[in-house]
Amino acid sequence: MDQRRSEHNPVREPIRSPWVWVVMTLIILAGTPLYLPSGVVEPLVFGLPYWVVLSVFFTLAFSAFTSWLCLRKWNLVEQQEEAAVEDGGSTWKI
Amino acid sequence: MENLNFGGTSGIVVLLTYAGIMLIIGYFAGRGRPNVRSSVRGYFLAGRGLGFVALFFTLYATQYSGNSVIGYAPEAYRSGFVWWQSVMFMIAVIAVYLLFAPRLYVIAKRESFVTPTDWVRHRFRSTRVSILVAILMLWGLANYLLEQLVAMGQGISGLTGNTVPYQIGVIAFVLVMLAYSWMGGMRAVALTDVMQGIALLIGVAVLLFGSLYLIEGDIAGLTQHVVDNAPEKVGVPDGETSVNWLSMIVLIGFGAAVYPHAIQRVYAAKSERTLKRSLAIMAWMPFVTTAVVFVVGIVGIQLFPGLSESSSEQLVGMMANQVAGINVVFYLLMILLFGGVIAAIVSTADSALLSLSSVVSHDLYGRYINPRSSERRQVLVGKLVGIAVIAVLLLIAWNPPTTLYNIFVLKFELIVQIAPAFILGLYWDRLRAGPLFWGMLAGALFAGVWTVIGEEELYGVPAGLLGLGINVAIAVLGSLMTPRVQDDSEAAVPTDAAAG
Repeated sequence: MDQRRSEHNPVREPIRSPWVWVVMTLIILAGTPLYLPSGVVEPLVFGLPYWVVLSVFFTLAFSAFTSWLCLRKWNLVEQQEEAAVEDGGSTWKI
Repeated sequence: MENLNFGGTSGIVVLLTYAGIMLIIGYFAGRGRPNVRSSVRGYFLAGRGLGFVALFFTLYATQYSGNSVIGYAPEAYRSGFVWWQSVMFMIAVIAVYLLFAPRLYVIAKRESFVTPTDWVRHRFRSTRVSILVAILMLWGLANYLLEQLVAMGQGISGLTGNTVPYQIGVIAFVLVMLAYSWMGGMRAVALTDVMQGIALLIGVAVLLFGSLYLIEGDIAGLTQHVVDNAPEKVGVPDGETSVNWLSMIVLIGFGAAVYPHAIQRVYAAKSERTLKRSLAIMAWMPFVTTAVVFVVGIVGIQLFPGLSESSSEQLVGMMANQVAGINVVFYLLMILLFGGVIAAIVSTADSALLSLSSVVSHDLYGRYINPRSSERRQVLVGKLVGIAVIAVLLLIAWNPPTTLYNIFVLKFELIVQIAPAFILGLYWDRLRAGPLFWGMLAGALFAGVWTVIGEEELYGVPAGLLGLGINVAIAVLGSLMTPRVQDDSEAAVPTDAAAG
């Protein structure tokens, strides 16, 4: 199924999508407590300071987004490599 | 690391078992593969044949060193909840990979690159840029390796209750490491990383379980304890600390992604599919590694209040002692933890050493000293240089620095300066060798001098990041001011559009 999907995938590279980096920057900024009043601990959420829970949430988003980019926004030579393997050769051109 | 109170025999058994397994893996990695000894790609890149399991674990075991456990827990202890940043900056490393790895993988395979310097030479055709990049990489790798050797000695003497003296422990494990690297090159390093990565994962899981057991799983009580006794470690950090948090994400994200052994793992991937699947999982690994170590450090605030900076460096050992004292099951689990830490150190050290050997043998010896040398000879030179470098670093390691984290930051100050050569160089046709060279040199000198004279950070921004700013500014402005037509000696090759 993965192979069939990749055959229909256009050439994709994360660097070519500026919105990707805007979203990633926003996630990182949201996960860094720059914008919160310093010294504040409460309220506690799940037994942790609220700002830590906030940061953990955006850190999860950072991982999820990065992982998604790897799998869905990166497709340069996968089809050619798979085709080369099917042809029994290991060479391919780009 | 503090000595474990359960003595050394079981620790020695664990270490000997690890050593035996590593040697067996190394032997089988090289057996029946003459290319490992006669081809630089075979030896340094495993013939570009690393499949998903080997690639994922070698990325993992290499990125997370022993310092990620024994150095980061004390950092969380000292700085408190703000050390959650360690999870974010480890994810940032994978995010930065996405800026260059997709295209670099394609070009490296097409052009048969062996070292990161091969890309720089291919793109800029400039001897001075190539040599400066090689020097910065060697400096970073040597420092990284030194840190692993120091941690290795502390870990081994801790695990064996000083039954094995510091120096003997280091030499024994270095010999094992050299032996399996010699026999199987990158293939042996990657396959041993599978075993070492699993050992590290088990180790940190055990450490988390033991730590939570000691506080009876009461997270809310832990937070309340920190609020009552060390409020400065639990509140929203001040502006300068938050800026430092953000700076570390950028500095370590860019610095760790362009480490030579990190780039060589991009080269060594069997296929694009293998590489992106490995990195997709790597984006989650901070949650089962640095996040766990963060929790352990916070638990330490409750269990061992009031430690000085140097005493806190022993936190993992102290925690292990406490956990091992509960009952025989925990005792055995703590042996696994220390085995995991040693495995993490060795797996990082072997990768750094192999990369360092490749830069010396391929970029310096094979390129400038003896350009007519055969690949077999280059591989041999790389192996011998590796032994010589280890010998020199061991002499330095006998007097280890007190705080591991400080030398960790120092490495990134310089290595991060090569990032523009890769990231800007891949996509921006106008980047020129001259401005790039002066930018890297200025950035490295600024960061190095700032650090050596012990100047304070500028509102939380480390010197390495300031240096990178200067570096990029010189490279970009200088390139924009350079006429598009260049003389042949330093004319840049147009950036390679991967799909073009």
